[in-house]
Amino acid sequence: MKKLLAFLMAGLMTATVFAGCGESASSNSSESSDKSSSSASADGDWAYIKDKGEMVIGITYFEPMNYMDENGELTGFETEFATKVCDQLGVKPKFQKIDWDSKEVELNAKTIDCIWNGLTITDERKENMGISTPYMENKQVMVTKAENADKYTSAEALSGATVVAEKKSAGEEVAQSDDFFKQATYVSVDSQAKALLEVKSGTADIAVIDYVMSIGTLKDGSDYSNLSVIEDKSFAPEQYGVALRKDSTETLAKLDDAMQALADNGELEKIADKYNLKDLLLIKAK
Amino acid sequence: MNQFLNVTEQLLKGFGENSLIFIVTLVAAIPMGLIVSMGSRSRFFPLKALTRTFVWIIRGTPLMLQLFVVFYVPPLMSNGSFNFPRMNAALIAFIINYAAYFSEIFRGGIESVPKGQYEAGQVLGMKKSQIFFKVVLLQVIKRITAPIGNEIITLVKDTSLASVIAIPEILMNAKDFSMQGLIWPLFYSALFFLLFCGVLTLLFSFIEKKLNYYKG
Repeated sequence: MKKLLAFLMAGLMTATVFAGCGESASSNSSESSDKSSSSASADGDWAYIKDKGEMVIGITYFEPMNYMDENGELTGFETEFATKVCDQLGVKPKFQKIDWDSKEVELNAKTIDCIWNGLTITDERKENMGISTPYMENKQVMVTKAENADKYTSAEALSGATVVAEKKSAGEEVAQSDDFFKQATYVSVDSQAKALLEVKSGTADIAVIDYVMSIGTLKDGSDYSNLSVIEDKSFAPEQYGVALRKDSTETLAKLDDAMQALADNGELEKIADKYNLKDLLLIKAK
Repeated sequence: MNQFLNVTEQLLKGFGENSLIFIVTLVAAIPMGLIVSMGSRSRFFPLKALTRTFVWIIRGTPLMLQLFVVFYVPPLMSNGSFNFPRMNAALIAFIINYAAYFSEIFRGGIESVPKGQYEAGQVLGMKKSQIFFKVVLLQVIKRITAPIGNEIITLVKDTSLASVIAIPEILMNAKDFSMQGLIWPLFYSALFFLLFCGVLTLLFSFIEKKLNYYKG
């Protein structure tokens, strides 16, 4: 009898736990549908950010976009760019380091207000988040040991070589679908930094990473300085944008205007020039 | 050399976060675990069922997921109007998780003391509370030092999991260096854990020696 009671109790508790989960999920979805229906008339998102007086910007450290300089100060192209845009919007920027894998959750939980960290625009992301006007271009490049830089120039030369790229990245897309890599063996790893580590340690011959990433990591004095980019071949240009919560139409419009204004007064170009990214800028002065 | 100092400083800063989580978790989870273990041994059925379910859920789900739940579920449910600061969320998740594990170690320890010890106390005319505190407890402590030490050393390394809710702990800082083209800080960070665990190991073997007296 006692045992039966225990089972019943345990069952009941589990049921309440799960019921609780179900409830939260449903209330959540009704909330979001409310938001989408009301977004046409008034944008709660901009009011929310404006009331706080600060825009929490989700970043990861990644040179030359957002990184710590020798004095331990946060700096980089995106850092300066975002600060200037926030000045235009009349809110204070607050940089919050996040785990890149949880960026969408952070955005929806409102623990951050935007992602500004060399985020590649994809159809999938456009569906789930509000994406700004593309402001910068990026491309995929091949990185190999410096002594092999002249070797991998044709598809035939890649026969027997191992190519490595970050899982689900644009680099992986290239390495798997471009005819150039047809005769090579492909391996995927969980980050671009690890792709470089594979090449450095000799477990792979070529890493396909994005160009902007290669600027920061392959500089002199780094552990990867004996790796080099194969200059005369690049693939799949992609575009960077700022990601906001979905349905934040007003914030998005204000953000796009502010970015254009910075391009018009030449400040954006100045910042890009400082980090050697001027050629990649997509927003031009009108 | 300058770079080495800079990396060391950043890693130390990160390890400060790890140490904070470690100390607060330890101080809070041990008493909480004791309370939970009392619940698990209770003869009052609803209480026992409640604590058993609690232990089942906490031990049955990954700590990484629990960190996510504590930090992200409140703001997701309240549409962003409430969330714990990152560090507090981490501490809550760690304390609850470790209290569940500690409670089982305590329960095992208490139940492993032979019945004869209680009976001996009764023969001497001691009260129930006297028997527990004067006869049983120290034997329990002696018996559980090894498993507790094991759990505590696991805790040292588990603190790195806090990086999933973006607490700038040592491994996260080390990974940032690899984005800047420095690989060695990642391996260097192992040294901090090794030293910390080394000190704990020495401490626990000392404690065990001191407690040999109470070997039941």
